[in-house]
Amino acid sequence: MRAFQFKTAASPRDAANSGTDTAFIAGGTNLIDLMKLDVVAPARLVDLGPLSFRGITVDGDGLHIGALEKMAEVAEDPRVVKEYPVISQALLKSASAQIRNMATMGGNLMQRTRCGYFRDAVSPCNKRVPGSGCPALEGENRMHAIFGVSDSCCATHPSDLAVALVALESVLKLQGPQGVREVKLEDFYLLPENTPDREHDIRQGEMITEIFVPHNAWTGRSGYLKIRDRESYEFALTSAAVALDLDGSTIRDARIAVGGVGTKPWSLPVVAEALKGKTANRDVFAVAAEHATEGARMLSQNGFKVSLVKKTIVRALSEVGGVA
Amino acid sequence: MHSRDEDSASQSNSFPEETHSSRRHFLSQLAALSASLTIAAPGARAASSKERSNAEASDPERPESLIDIVLKVNGQEKRLKVDSRVTLLDAVRDRLNMSGTKKGCDHGACGACTVLVDGKRVLSCLTLAVMAQGKEVTTIEGLAHGDELHPVQAAFVTCDGFQCGYCTPGQIMSAVGCIGEGHTRSDSEIREFMSGNLCRCGAYPNIVQAIKQAATQMKGAVS
Amino acid sequence: MNTAFQGLNRDRFDAKLKVTGRAKYTGDHDLANMAFGYLIQSSISRGQIRSFDLSAAQESSGVIAIFTPFNSLKLYHPLGREEGGASGEVIPLLQDTQVHYFGQTIGLIVADSFEQARDAAALIKVNYEPKAAVVTLESGMAKAYQPQSVDQQPPTWSILESGASSIDDILRQAEASIAQEYTNPIEHHNPMEPHATVAVWQEDRLTIYDATQGVRGQQRTLAAVLGIDDDQVRVICPFVGGAFGCKGSMWMHSPLTAAAARVLNRPVKTILTREQMYTTTGHRPALLQKIELGATRDGVLRAVKHEVFSSTAATKEFIEAAAHRTSRYLYKSPNILVSHHLVPLDIAPGTFMRAPGEAPGMYALESAMDELAVKLGIDPIELRIKNHAEIYPGKNVPFSSKHLLECYQRGAEKFGWAKRIPEPGMTKDGDWLIGQGMATALYPAHRAGASAKVRLQADGYVTVSSATEDLGTGMYTVLAIVGAQSLDLPYERVRAVLGDSALPPAPGAGGSQSTASVGPAVVVAADLAKKKLIEVAAKDQKSPFQGAKPEELSYISGEIRGNGKSLSFNQLLGVLGRSAIEATGSSAPGDEEHKYGFSSFGAQFCEVKVHALTSEIRVNRFSSVMDVGTVVSEKTARNQIMGGIVFGIGMALLEGTQYDARTGWIANRNIAEYLVATNADVPAIDVEFLNRPDLQFNSIGARGIGEIGITGTPAAIANAVYHATGRRVRQLPIRPEHLLA
Repeated sequence: MRAFQFKTAASPRDAANSGTDTAFIAGGTNLIDLMKLDVVAPARLVDLGPLSFRGITVDGDGLHIGALEKMAEVAEDPRVVKEYPVISQALLKSASAQIRNMATMGGNLMQRTRCGYFRDAVSPCNKRVPGSGCPALEGENRMHAIFGVSDSCCATHPSDLAVALVALESVLKLQGPQGVREVKLEDFYLLPENTPDREHDIRQGEMITEIFVPHNAWTGRSGYLKIRDRESYEFALTSAAVALDLDGSTIRDARIAVGGVGTKPWSLPVVAEALKGKTANRDVFAVAAEHATEGARMLSQNGFKVSLVKKTIVRALSEVGGVA
Repeated sequence: MHSRDEDSASQSNSFPEETHSSRRHFLSQLAALSASLTIAAPGARAASSKERSNAEASDPERPESLIDIVLKVNGQEKRLKVDSRVTLLDAVRDRLNMSGTKKGCDHGACGACTVLVDGKRVLSCLTLAVMAQGKEVTTIEGLAHGDELHPVQAAFVTCDGFQCGYCTPGQIMSAVGCIGEGHTRSDSEIREFMSGNLCRCGAYPNIVQAIKQAATQMKGAVS
Repeated sequence: MNTAFQGLNRDRFDAKLKVTGRAKYTGDHDLANMAFGYLIQSSISRGQIRSFDLSAAQESSGVIAIFTPFNSLKLYHPLGREEGGASGEVIPLLQDTQVHYFGQTIGLIVADSFEQARDAAALIKVNYEPKAAVVTLESGMAKAYQPQSVDQQPPTWSILESGASSIDDILRQAEASIAQEYTNPIEHHNPMEPHATVAVWQEDRLTIYDATQGVRGQQRTLAAVLGIDDDQVRVICPFVGGAFGCKGSMWMHSPLTAAAARVLNRPVKTILTREQMYTTTGHRPALLQKIELGATRDGVLRAVKHEVFSSTAATKEFIEAAAHRTSRYLYKSPNILVSHHLVPLDIAPGTFMRAPGEAPGMYALESAMDELAVKLGIDPIELRIKNHAEIYPGKNVPFSSKHLLECYQRGAEKFGWAKRIPEPGMTKDGDWLIGQGMATALYPAHRAGASAKVRLQADGYVTVSSATEDLGTGMYTVLAIVGAQSLDLPYERVRAVLGDSALPPAPGAGGSQSTASVGPAVVVAADLAKKKLIEVAAKDQKSPFQGAKPEELSYISGEIRGNGKSLSFNQLLGVLGRSAIEATGSSAPGDEEHKYGFSSFGAQFCEVKVHALTSEIRVNRFSSVMDVGTVVSEKTARNQIMGGIVFGIGMALLEGTQYDARTGWIANRNIAEYLVATNADVPAIDVEFLNRPDLQFNSIGARGIGEIGITGTPAAIANAVYHATGRRVRQLPIRPEHLLA
């Protein structure tokens, strides 16, 4: 870990003007891990702790969560549990209780991939060292992506929360030297293409201040299913965040995003479209889920994810839809 | 940590004592059973590493400079000088000589380093010491009252909630946090909410029993 | 002892130290003026180091020294096992510029603090001349060869009934047969405590705190590698934070740290990082196992053929004897053939890992037996019973004490086996397919010579000591219980001391042999101590018993009694002005080794659920009935068996080290992506001990318990998965993708 200058942010402006080669630290659970691996080595760390981007508010538009709110707090907030259950479930399936006590919502969204080549500072890796190559494409890639894969990178996006938020069409509020702006979370994450080192639509000095989740007819009937080798404390093999607007047993509308399979959280409007107007049952779910893997690219070890992600979607829809 | 490959063949002269003899405090030793020590000739830049640290400490702009911090650990204020990289785990173990908190992986994957910060369970290996200032840190050493074990400790003893004991301080601190969070309403809830603490010896069934027992006792004591 | 030895159920002796954080593990030791060591490792699999660029590292603050093959620490060649050596590597590192495997230690950096050492190490650049490497079992098969011997047996060992020309003939003619291949990946021990060494010299005497399963073996091995005499080295390790075999050998960070401490003339502490452990402290080899079973249509075995191909480091042979340790003697069969081939790879040396040989071997054998049972339509337990061996195959001696049939019967009863629907895929719980499987558990009983000291003290306590280890195995508790029972004193009056090479010699804590080796030595020492106490009581001028004949005095429950008087031993010592009376006793296996087969057995039962859609596999419940001889310490023994089962759950469903086939680079070199079982993966586990003493084996009747728990577990799980789904997976770990419809 390279030695760094440590500063505490007096204000958002103060943080934003900290200069280049600076990283913001909130919970530290991902940043300290990566710094110990020498994967990231900022010259300066700015602690966002004193800033006021906190709070969980529900209003007529939807759910507003301060970026510095801890994952554990949001997961157990009764309003989130009741009205936006997919978010609570995604949070509770993330990491461990200790990490959820430390990590912030914004930090979780900025978390980096678990790809072993990325996390080894001496390995070639286009994300870490552009142009050095991607050993994962032909190497150890069981946990890697089938969606959004390019010839430069196939690293899976690791966040469960991001999948749930993308499914619910969440919006990020960002604040930086040029002021405040909003970005749809789905667009905030960038495909690797041939610039895998660029993961986020974020500018120099910008920080996430708030997550806004618009209320919709489907947000209340939602859930997160995470498929993994072991029962807990593991990143997803595949996962699905689903939300249903049901009228009796007819699906009026739906939202679906999947995780563990994309270089960014993978929204599936084509599956949602295929569900509209249909009766909520297993067969309907299975037919709709078939659309999920159009355009998927299988690697040497992760081809099973094509089948597994479809089944994950079917199971998630069945559980959320209350269908046997 | 691995050393880095280089493709260029430029570093052909690789006998350190020849190229670096003028560098400060670098000892070189060639094969010798009798261990005759060759200390590289100290030149003008011969400040020992300790002296160098002191010099740096006075320059707050240098990244390696030592920062004065005050940690409140188990109710006591401790003053330390640490560089910004030092984690709460290493501050407690190496600077405060409190070795009860264990390092299992140093990357937040095993839970052995769990402590309480302001009553909440967290991983000390992913907490910077400088960021733990102004907070109440509780380690395993701070749990018992003299000879009287905390109910969680006592339950771990009677239920044999450990074998090698290395993960145990982390398990116990995590259990205290877990009970405080109210996540002990069933065996399966305990298992899930304690899954951030790995036990390679596999004492999990007994750990669950111990936490159930302690939680019941503590609830009884409170009411 | 006059009556049969009775075990006890007591709280662990070292419990209070462990729950208060006061138990000191190797890395916890803090010495004045201590410096920190940090390993430098190769990033290529094979080749030569051309040079190091140390310029940036040397400039880094706090750096004291950087040792490399060009600026080396002298290490000598380790002793072989036949000379009492216990080194995990054969080649002393840093003595030349060769790289034999990915992650090989090629340097040691020493600095004032851990952070400074770590961060300077990252600044070191190494210039290599790489060569092609062969790093997977498949790619190395062409070079497979047979070792000279396996467990002192020929690498291909067989018995054939008279008239049989070959086992293949018998198999061909069998009314029913199974021929299958099973594979196991490389696994890593991943104890919670990383390896650590703290070395300090006083002139030419080394005191070393070292995380080891065997202080004596470590002492001997270190001394030779450092070029000094055994008695110049003292190894101290009172607590080991888990080992499972990876601390049973000396690894090079120990002598390197000691050598650095000697050269720098200050104490040095090196703690391995989790990542470094994957290439420096051993692993369980990968295996390909071919099993063929031939039987009558009633299920009586006619032939058992078990061939094993296991990986080994090109630099050091390690044999994971999966067939020789299982199929060779578990079932009765007139024709048995076991064979072993090694596949040399350019990887780090392997080593013993919990039930080495037995764990993967039983996975294959017990899966094959299950496949045979299914083929014949016979209940799996019935099949085992039909082929139960009363006589040790090949050796033709009886088993000393074997109650495996009772294990099956009792286990089946407790588990509710009779309610099981034999057809696979027929039992469901909502969207979960339920399956039940069973397997035999097997582990040989080992024993070696050991000594122990019993010291009756003036303060009323008794100290029992031996240079054995407690890895979480409960050895402190065993020593205290055996001492207490041998002296007929309460457990609370006994203090156990271990983990110091200065104590009476004991074998390394491996092979589940500690209780069977050291326990009897404690009994002998206690007897001698009692005798000595009586002698002193009879002779000493100040003794109230002075003048009595020793035969007139007796020791009863801590007291000397005779001639109408009685005095506790501490009262007597007080009167005599003596601090203690002590005796050292020794015990070793005798010729009983040739008269009997000694082994422990068990029956293990597992219920799994497999999700019908997404195929996750979870263990619902697990049950084990074990025949392991006398159970000395009930509480700790139960925990050990459960721990072995948890280890087996990991082996069956989660564990496997992932090597990039092109480079030998390890993808999951951490404890997040190398999956071990979490709390949520482990259901209620029921353990029952038959507690039948094996007095042929030793005076206490105890056999080992540390490893047997894992041996039947993977097969019980795999067989249950088959029962749930109708799909037979013949590779570990069993994963959802193997079961997707």
